[in-house]
Amino acid sequence: MRVLHSQKLTTPRPPLATSISKWRRAVPLYVMLLPTVAYFLILTYYPLVHSVFISLQNFNLIGNRPFVGLQNYQAVLSDPNFWAAFRNTLFLGASILIIGFFAPIVIALSLNEVLQQWAKRTLQMVIYIPHLFSWVVVGGLWIQLLNPAGGLVNAVLHAFGVPPVQFMSDPNTARWVIILVSVWKDVGFNCILYLAAIVGINPELYNAARVDGASHWQEVWHITIPSLIRTMQVVGLLSIMGLLRLFDQIYVMRNAVIEPKVDVLMTYVYDQGFTQMNIGQATASALLILVATLLLTLLTRRLVQFEL
Amino acid sequence: MRGTRTGGRALFVTVNLLFLALIAATMIVPLWNAVVVSLSSNFGSMQPGIQMWPRQFSVIGYKTIWTVLNLWQPFENSVIVSVFGTTIHVLLASLAGYALAQPLLPGRRVITSVILISMMIPFEAIMIPFYVTIQELGLLNTLVALILSGAVSGFSILLMRNFFQSIPNDILDAAEVDGAGHFYRLWRICMPLSKAGLATVGLFEFVGRWNNLLATVLLINDSSKDTLQVALNSLVNQGSAASSGELVTTNVKMAGIIIAILPLLFAYPFVQKYFVKGIFLGSTKE
Repeated sequence: MRVLHSQKLTTPRPPLATSISKWRRAVPLYVMLLPTVAYFLILTYYPLVHSVFISLQNFNLIGNRPFVGLQNYQAVLSDPNFWAAFRNTLFLGASILIIGFFAPIVIALSLNEVLQQWAKRTLQMVIYIPHLFSWVVVGGLWIQLLNPAGGLVNAVLHAFGVPPVQFMSDPNTARWVIILVSVWKDVGFNCILYLAAIVGINPELYNAARVDGASHWQEVWHITIPSLIRTMQVVGLLSIMGLLRLFDQIYVMRNAVIEPKVDVLMTYVYDQGFTQMNIGQATASALLILVATLLLTLLTRRLVQFEL
Repeated sequence: MRGTRTGGRALFVTVNLLFLALIAATMIVPLWNAVVVSLSSNFGSMQPGIQMWPRQFSVIGYKTIWTVLNLWQPFENSVIVSVFGTTIHVLLASLAGYALAQPLLPGRRVITSVILISMMIPFEAIMIPFYVTIQELGLLNTLVALILSGAVSGFSILLMRNFFQSIPNDILDAAEVDGAGHFYRLWRICMPLSKAGLATVGLFEFVGRWNNLLATVLLINDSSKDTLQVALNSLVNQGSAASSGELVTTNVKMAGIIIAILPLLFAYPFVQKYFVKGIFLGSTKE
């Protein structure tokens, strides 16, 4: 290391005389970027542009693909199932967004009050665990726990004399199961982001507050919470970007009885495209959702002045 | 001091701990229940009641899932897709991250924009044209299609770029003077100095791929190429054991769940260590 350093002092960087040599020097870097750029062009941007065409076609996987103008969009916008999925997405998405935004803040503040390091660390680890699991696993665990015949939750309710609850076959209950399980799965992840931010708060601030005679609650309210705003912005932005993407939990946890009340925009796209084979219509609805997501993201970024 | 023990304070500490213990219990109990049920006999696992210990201890659930239901094949497919997919993802993200960390790269801003904008396009929103593209490439129904989908991501590239940018220029300049090319500097200097970044990206990607459902649901029709999540979904959540026509008892379902989460529990201590740093590094401004 010392040798390298002394060489640097004696040898100047070769001058970039002409722009040609600048480009030539960059060739290895372009080679490094080639697979990535190719990936994005072929498997992100090409499908994106292609979907504009597909949405204007009567698309068959094999055979003719006549252009039909805006017919697919008309079909989507006049499909009651689309609007049902739209309303469900708003309801489920907004509930998950709001509960999922506040729950990790409350838990992080609560965890921060635990003074024993080992207890804090253990609780934090345990709360994070469900975030690691797939929706297949999480759905499977909760469907079994909530099963009216033999599931643990109903067994506990039974012990208190409560009759069995059909959690997953009543659409209104099932909606709340999906909302709460979604929050449950991710609460630990966001919680750890807040805890990391709390650790980064300058202790001088607390000392100064104490000198001024601030109570513990005043410290939390005037120092800790304001210091978390940047993290709240990150979490909020990520949650809003995820709002219209709801898919896995619905695909895994839905059943024929609850479908009308839990199907969301992405399951609508999937069903239209791959179950009904209405590929043009499915693509048109996906594009509408994509535009809505982009607008929502840009709007939020402007509102919270967040720059990636 | 913050911990001054007055009566009110002590009450608060107790209530606070109880609250957290209750939250933690909602994470522990489902897992424990799954372990217990998976180790019960077929009959025992179907009995109602609060079960905190295996009823008629038996490993029949695991045997059934491995031999009768052949979960071995999807498990193997998941391992192949996750290992190869993650390796490619980490390599591409490092290559691109290194190139974009060079301040003198012509066109850097344009390429960065292409990558940033791609981060705003969720996979779910382009699933149908993605399917069509994979079909046009003749890759439908292959594990290659699964490995290729998500071969790199904007988030990973930015994260690696930020790691590489934090390496002191002196070291790289010195290597350049010694005649080391970009590939050598990336492989021998930057990557060894960015192990935390590589671990973050690698673990994120591995967990994401292991848990991925949608890509397989879309791109695979042939059940011999299904990944674990898809095979498990039809077993656990749809209650049908694909072709065997056998009644799937609860212990078998829970055994499947335990098999699916074991690799993640091994990765877990490492994941937690790295990812906070990763999230913040990945989201900092250029």
